[in-house]
Amino acid sequence: MFSEPDSIFPAFIVLLPVIAFVLTLFLGKKFPHGGAYFPIAAIAGSFIISLGVFLEIYPDKIVQQSLPWFANMNIGILIDPLAVVMLMMVTFVSLLIHIYAVGYMSHDPAKPRYFAETALFTAAMLGVVLSDNILQFFISWELVGLCSFLLIGFWYHKPSAAAAAKKAFLVTRVGDVLFLAGIVLLYVNLNVLINKGLFTPEHGNFILQFKTMFEAAKLIDPTQLTFITLLFFGGAVGKSGQFPLHGWLPDAMEGPTTVSALIHAATMVTAGVYLVARTFPMFAATPATLSPGVPDSLLIVAYIGGFTALFAATMGLVMNDIKRVLAYSTVSQLGYMMLALGTAGAVVGAQAVGISLFHLISHAFFKALLFLCAGSVIHAVGTNDIREMGGLFSKMKITGTTMMIGALALAGIGIPFINIGTAGFFSKDRIIEGTFEYGEKTGDMIPYAFAIIAALLTSIYIFRLWFMAFTGKPRSERHPHESPNVMTRPLMILAFLALIFGFTHLGFYGYLEKNFELMGVEVAGHEGEAAATSPIVVLLPVLVGVLGFLIAYAIYYKRILNMSKIVSSNNPLYKLLLNRYYEPTIGADMIGVKLTHGVVAQSGEFVDRKIIDGLIIDNIIGKTTFCLGEIARKLQTGVVQNYASVTLLGVGLLLIVLKLVGGI
Amino acid sequence: MSYVLLAPEILLTVLALAVILIGLLVSDKSKNILGYISAAGLAASLLLTIGNRGGDTFFYNALVIDPLSQIFKIIFIAVSLLAVIASIHYFKDNRNQDEYYGLILLATVGMMVVASANDLLSLFVGFELASMSTYVLAGFEKKNPSSLEAALKYFIIGSLSSALMLFGMSLVYGVSGSTNIPEILAYFKTAQVSGIDILAMVFLVAGFGFKMALVPFHMWAPDTYEGSPTVVSSLLAAGSKKMGFVAAFRVLVLALVAVRADIQVVFAILAVITMTYGNVVAISQKSIKRMLAYSSIAQAGYISLAFVVMTQMSIAGGVLLALGHAFMKGGAFLAVAVVGYMVLSDNKNAKNTDDISNFAGLGKRAPITALSLFVFFLALAGIPPSAGFIGKFVLFYSVTSEAVSTASTWLLVIVVIAILNSALSIYYYARVIRYMYVLPPAGERIHEPLPYVVAILLAVIGTIGIGLYPEPVIKMAMDAASVLGVI
Repeated sequence: MFSEPDSIFPAFIVLLPVIAFVLTLFLGKKFPHGGAYFPIAAIAGSFIISLGVFLEIYPDKIVQQSLPWFANMNIGILIDPLAVVMLMMVTFVSLLIHIYAVGYMSHDPAKPRYFAETALFTAAMLGVVLSDNILQFFISWELVGLCSFLLIGFWYHKPSAAAAAKKAFLVTRVGDVLFLAGIVLLYVNLNVLINKGLFTPEHGNFILQFKTMFEAAKLIDPTQLTFITLLFFGGAVGKSGQFPLHGWLPDAMEGPTTVSALIHAATMVTAGVYLVARTFPMFAATPATLSPGVPDSLLIVAYIGGFTALFAATMGLVMNDIKRVLAYSTVSQLGYMMLALGTAGAVVGAQAVGISLFHLISHAFFKALLFLCAGSVIHAVGTNDIREMGGLFSKMKITGTTMMIGALALAGIGIPFINIGTAGFFSKDRIIEGTFEYGEKTGDMIPYAFAIIAALLTSIYIFRLWFMAFTGKPRSERHPHESPNVMTRPLMILAFLALIFGFTHLGFYGYLEKNFELMGVEVAGHEGEAAATSPIVVLLPVLVGVLGFLIAYAIYYKRILNMSKIVSSNNPLYKLLLNRYYEPTIGADMIGVKLTHGVVAQSGEFVDRKIIDGLIIDNIIGKTTFCLGEIARKLQTGVVQNYASVTLLGVGLLLIVLKLVGGI
Repeated sequence: MSYVLLAPEILLTVLALAVILIGLLVSDKSKNILGYISAAGLAASLLLTIGNRGGDTFFYNALVIDPLSQIFKIIFIAVSLLAVIASIHYFKDNRNQDEYYGLILLATVGMMVVASANDLLSLFVGFELASMSTYVLAGFEKKNPSSLEAALKYFIIGSLSSALMLFGMSLVYGVSGSTNIPEILAYFKTAQVSGIDILAMVFLVAGFGFKMALVPFHMWAPDTYEGSPTVVSSLLAAGSKKMGFVAAFRVLVLALVAVRADIQVVFAILAVITMTYGNVVAISQKSIKRMLAYSSIAQAGYISLAFVVMTQMSIAGGVLLALGHAFMKGGAFLAVAVVGYMVLSDNKNAKNTDDISNFAGLGKRAPITALSLFVFFLALAGIPPSAGFIGKFVLFYSVTSEAVSTASTWLLVIVVIAILNSALSIYYYARVIRYMYVLPPAGERIHEPLPYVVAILLAVIGTIGIGLYPEPVIKMAMDAASVLGVI
């Protein structure tokens, strides 16, 4: 019933939240909780439809629907394994966060606006996931960006929130422009191929459909293809906060915590990873010129991802704002997902999509959990600063326990060989093993080094956070209390998932592996023989996780080291990290304010205002036009005899004109 | 020949008579129901029209149902429907409502007959039926001198134009010996061109140009749109104006055959003068209704570009812009009607309710109306995704491709002028938008009456819907254009 070619249900996955958006925006204030029930009901509906679609198409069917839009563009729906797991994750996490937000936002007067915007956001994100062509993908992608801007700046009266929203918008815009350029370049290339008769789309005329793109990928000039995929990756870098466009994501924490959990941890930021996974066959088809056997684009994806994973983890170590720690952690984990696409893609081909997506989904669960726990803590103590917390565990048992589960999942703790462990244990450790296999195959161990060091740092910063917040003596005069049920229940559900989701890994990899096969697309790549990995490789990721825990335990719980000395001294490394490698200075102040605004914009303004507006528009065009307008206005005398004369005069003039040109 | 195809016209005619009859029987107070009845009838007739593709002729070839007639009928009925829905509030408790709704329905029937006309006589009859009804509608506010002035000017210039048109028709009959359009076409294909043909064509252009409000046959339009009740202005600008276009599409194919390239020059000149004049004069208007009237003149200039090249695509573009304009301009006039209501509820004796100063802070005072007006203005300026953009895009594209394929520089120059005109128009739209959203409001937030809101939102849906999903309407417009059998 859900997956027939003409079923209307798949479209309603997106339409329900859109309807909820309209209803909440206009009628929200007349309903309890700012109309929160509209989006909750709608997203629950979307979740049920997604689940129904999944049950019907599992294990080897896909849903494809398409309508002509204009010219050779279409609007369409494509639900393949990749899309369906994303659909279920997005709707489910979004549903839980909406429920939680009923409690979290209960004191905010602008609730209808909040719920309307999150509903629109969910719709846009689902639109990204469902798109069967790159143009529709891009439009939804932009809408996602817009919602993110609105929600980061939700408390727009706070200057820092307004600034963060602006920064997020501008930085991701850099990526979006690259992405759009990639689409244009692709379109041009496809048209050239079609006009030369080298390529005839098998699936109708809609040339920006993913299928057609993949079919054509082999025919496009290899250098152009590398450019196209790297431009796409540029979009992904912006959206997923990869180096060097990562700076907006930690600042985005100025929005409500629920927004951070929904958008900047679980869903929107994964859109970049999803883009690379979605267009993976094109990445895999790029030529290998830099490193033998590894497509260039995948190599770059791997390096950027691996570097980001490590780079962001170092900053996570020193942040004092609970949400910023989690934000850097998100950047770092997204780096892992990119790393998986890049390295595993070179070793096991299309399986890489499964490996990356598995981490994406498990990350969505435990990161949403961590953020919501952080929200619960902030709700209780009224501050974001972990230096002012401490000893919360006795007051907030549920939050403390669930957050510990989230931390264990993030650190990837589990028992190797018998395969019991948290979600992160299965997902992240598989990525790290993948980088090792990649290293063995190509002799390039740098990505592995990135991954394993980042894993150690991950474990340290997350347990530092937990110990500082929940143990020790309270460091400020506050009276924390456990959050209401509407907030703790979602925590428990997410914690449960963070614990057990990992056990689905074999089925998950197997299902996702067939993704491109089901679309009838062959992925260039390497038939994956996962080489028998040595025990130490399997063990090492868990060992560094445990080591990180012990270090954090020793420093922040047992206090064998006096951190205040390291922190307060003029330690240059500490300063470098705390100042986020001076990224705000370089990015915002120098590139943003001084260069772009100061030099480019000011000179543009001078030319525009003084020369074009002042001289040309005002004096020449403006005044002439106004004069003509005035003259014409006076011609309109209001006397009907004049009107009749003009009409007849017109007839006479027309005759004369015809006489002149026609010569009759 | 199946009369089912004529069901929409029959339904509306019967309904018009019924409405007038019911009006005689019921008390003044219960006349408010007539608006709902008329709206329901128009909606039913709209569905009937959308549902049938046609392909038949009636009454000895006097009427034809084909894709061209159908798309224009959709425009006419949709505009009347919007006007009627809004009138439910505008003319509430007016004791002459029966006549009002009867006239609107008859005017709609007249326009539909013109859309279907396959004979110069049925064309003329339809034209007159619609014109007579709208003359009265324009003067419907009997106690308001400017409404009477509007009606009188409209009537005088309208009669003059009818006379010119009829004279043109008689000349055509004189040379060809027939009033049936296909027969005349067949005649012109073989006959030598004579001076009489040209004279006939010029008279016809003048007659249709009056309805289309092409410069220099436009003089009545600003005065009439300004003075008429605002809902009637909406009907005139968005609906009855299109009657001139469909008549011109049907008949001027003849001109193309008869006098070939020469008529293109005439239309090129008319189009350029009309769009430029409309936009330039719109800039200095203080009254928003007048501004909309001039912008409407400018839009007519764009649409007449279709006659300049007369390819299938350009006619499709013209039809699309006509369809889009029906929603954008109809909606914009209705939004102005809300402002009029707002000003009058502040102060009963207010004059010049549509003065631009009354739009200050409209975004706060009447948010739905202001936002919708914002949408209509952007659409009129041709900003995507809107019906205005799609229409202009197809139209300008068709002219450009014709210019490229015939290597003619002057066509390119015309496209450039049209695009510059579009840019110029943003100025006066943006000025109103500034008033609505930047300037402080002059009063409290008002309650926007439901009938207005429904009508305006329907227009917004039409405007944006066509912009977002143009494929079906583009196909309809291409089908309509193919009927004319040009290239």
